[in-house]
Amino acid sequence: MTMSEPIIAIENISKTFTSKERGKGRKRKKKVEALKDVSLEIFDGEVFGLLGPNGAGKTTLIKCLTTLLLPTSGTAWINGFNLQKEENKVRASIGCMLMGERGLYWKLTGRENLDYFGALYYIPKNVRRERIDYLVDLLELSDFVDRTVETYSSGQKMILAFAKSLINDAPILFLDEPTVTMDVHAARNLRSIVRNLNKEGHTIIYTTHLMAEADELCDRVAIIDRGEIIALGPPSELKSSIPQESVVDVEGVIPESARNRIVEIPGIRTAVVKDETNGKTMLGIICDNSRRVLPKIIDVLVEEDAIIEYISPQEVTLEDVFIAKTGRSLSIDTREIVTPKDAGK
Amino acid sequence: MTAKTVHKNLGLSEMSWRSSLGVTKTVLIARFKIVLRYKGAIVFDMILPVILAALPILLGVAIAGQAAAQNFEDATGTENYKLYMLIGASTFIVVTLMLWLVGYWIRREMETGTLESVYASPAKRVEVLSGVTLYALIRSLMAFAFAMVVGSFIFQVDLFQGEMALALAFVVIGIIPLWGISFAFGALILKVKEADSLIQVMQWVVAFFMGIFFPITVFPPFLRYVALSFPPTWMTNGVRASLLDVAYFFGTWYLDLAVLLAFAAVLPLVGYTVFLRTERRIKKNEGVGQF
Ligand SMILES: Nc1ncnc2c1ncn2[C@@H]1O[C@H](COP(=O)(O)OP(=O)(O)O)[C@@H](O)[C@H]1O
Ligand SMILES: [Mg+2]
Repeated sequence: MTMSEPIIAIENISKTFTSKERGKGRKRKKKVEALKDVSLEIFDGEVFGLLGPNGAGKTTLIKCLTTLLLPTSGTAWINGFNLQKEENKVRASIGCMLMGERGLYWKLTGRENLDYFGALYYIPKNVRRERIDYLVDLLELSDFVDRTVETYSSGQKMILAFAKSLINDAPILFLDEPTVTMDVHAARNLRSIVRNLNKEGHTIIYTTHLMAEADELCDRVAIIDRGEIIALGPPSELKSSIPQESVVDVEGVIPESARNRIVEIPGIRTAVVKDETNGKTMLGIICDNSRRVLPKIIDVLVEEDAIIEYISPQEVTLEDVFIAKTGRSLSIDTREIVTPKDAGK
Repeated sequence: MTAKTVHKNLGLSEMSWRSSLGVTKTVLIARFKIVLRYKGAIVFDMILPVILAALPILLGVAIAGQAAAQNFEDATGTENYKLYMLIGASTFIVVTLMLWLVGYWIRREMETGTLESVYASPAKRVEVLSGVTLYALIRSLMAFAFAMVVGSFIFQVDLFQGEMALALAFVVIGIIPLWGISFAFGALILKVKEADSLIQVMQWVVAFFMGIFFPITVFPPFLRYVALSFPPTWMTNGVRASLLDVAYFFGTWYLDLAVLLAFAAVLPLVGYTVFLRTERRIKKNEGVGQF
């Protein structure tokens, strides 16, 4: 890929939320640093992925860049315009899909919704009509576009929200976890449209907490955790930062004690739970050389009465990059949970 | 200030006064489409004032009997208590629709997430708010006209008495300051993220102070000043004074109208400024997507 000039330049953006925590009797202010001094350049014509677990700060960054939130400090340049000083031109430069199927008028039809937002993007009436017809074709909306949105299935709302983000045919497109509630087929379809849009020259910023999605779709990925960018580069480059044959996945019933002992084995860097369903655990282990430590891992599992269903050295994934950097898995929710338990002490 | 990135284009956006007007028009039409798809909402606006006026009229007849008109004249200067009540109830519906529709709009759009979509678009605040305000204006004037006409049939009162043109002037000019108050109130709702109970309470406070069923001269002095600082009080009294033998607060129509004009000149700007400031403060923290 040939690198062109940046179309988005983010300069030291920080964002701190202050919320009131209410407990018995006492009110306290609580601060969450959702973004910590983020600087980043996104190039014209790339599909740029923001990968991170829930609560990492992906949505906050997107909302800052779409002028929905004012950063606490820092600034950005988007399509040649300054984020704070030329808000309206920034807004006209981007299309965005921010909150899944929300943000539509339920009492209007799909077409009326698109026309409404088209007008809000200052698109002349006749251009708007053509654009809507084009989108109805492109996204196969014709079956439901003339019904009110209240009658839509969740998937139909989602695709209409996606159409809405395309209404102004902006050079830059922000998609915040657009496939999160879609089925596999719809998600694949959306990604293929995103790829086509990119071929037409649109720059796309795509957030996800699914490493496979980022890997498949994006030219470059920024891995974000707790408000900071901890890795940046093309997926292949990020993955090659970890030596091959250094990832082992174990699936089965694995007691906590086994996990604790595995981490103690010399040559093992970290072991985290990647997934946990129906009492079964998927353990991801990052080590220096999987061939050498595999027998030792099996020994420990046997001694601890684990039931092993599957054990194998793995190809390195973007999730392993995240695990290697943080010691945590991508599926862990890192949002800070606001509990009133210690208020009023 | 030099741009630090490339500039490509603005997609399909064409900024011009035409497209600005287009925003207002689109928002206005969408408002009507949406309300018309909720059955009965608009009919309710039109019938409510008639019912509202019927209550005191029937109550008056029941309590004071034949003496009702005479007693009323002693207190207000006119014996035509039926028209008096009808005017009160009809201006009340104008005031409530104008004051709360912006607030309800904001609250509802926050809940559905459409407010955030509106904020993400380049449309200017004033263009969108104008659409919503125009909608409130048309809806409230329709309700006013309907209630007055139907009410005059039901209660057998003659609308065509006194100075009609002047009465209309009081209504039209009286509506302008309501814009300002509704923007400020919308800002409050943006901030506290709650509308229903707030509006329920305010509704009765407003009804009380603007004197829909009684002259504010029955208030003790302090409450009277509070009532006088509220523009709808001047609007209601102006309409009554121009149609009936009720006294103007300042003795003459032009002084009362001047007071309303002063409110009209100041309050919309104040309200709009309050709105923009609140909005900025919210964006500095949690943003309008939080609800
Ligand atoms: N309005 C808010 N008030 C307080 N904290 C918030 C608010 N919005 C987000 N946060 C916090 O900021 C952090 C980042 O959230 P977010 O950007 O939504 O993460 P992501 O999109 O990556 O899941 C989280 O800890 C979240 O709880
Ligand atoms: Mg998010």
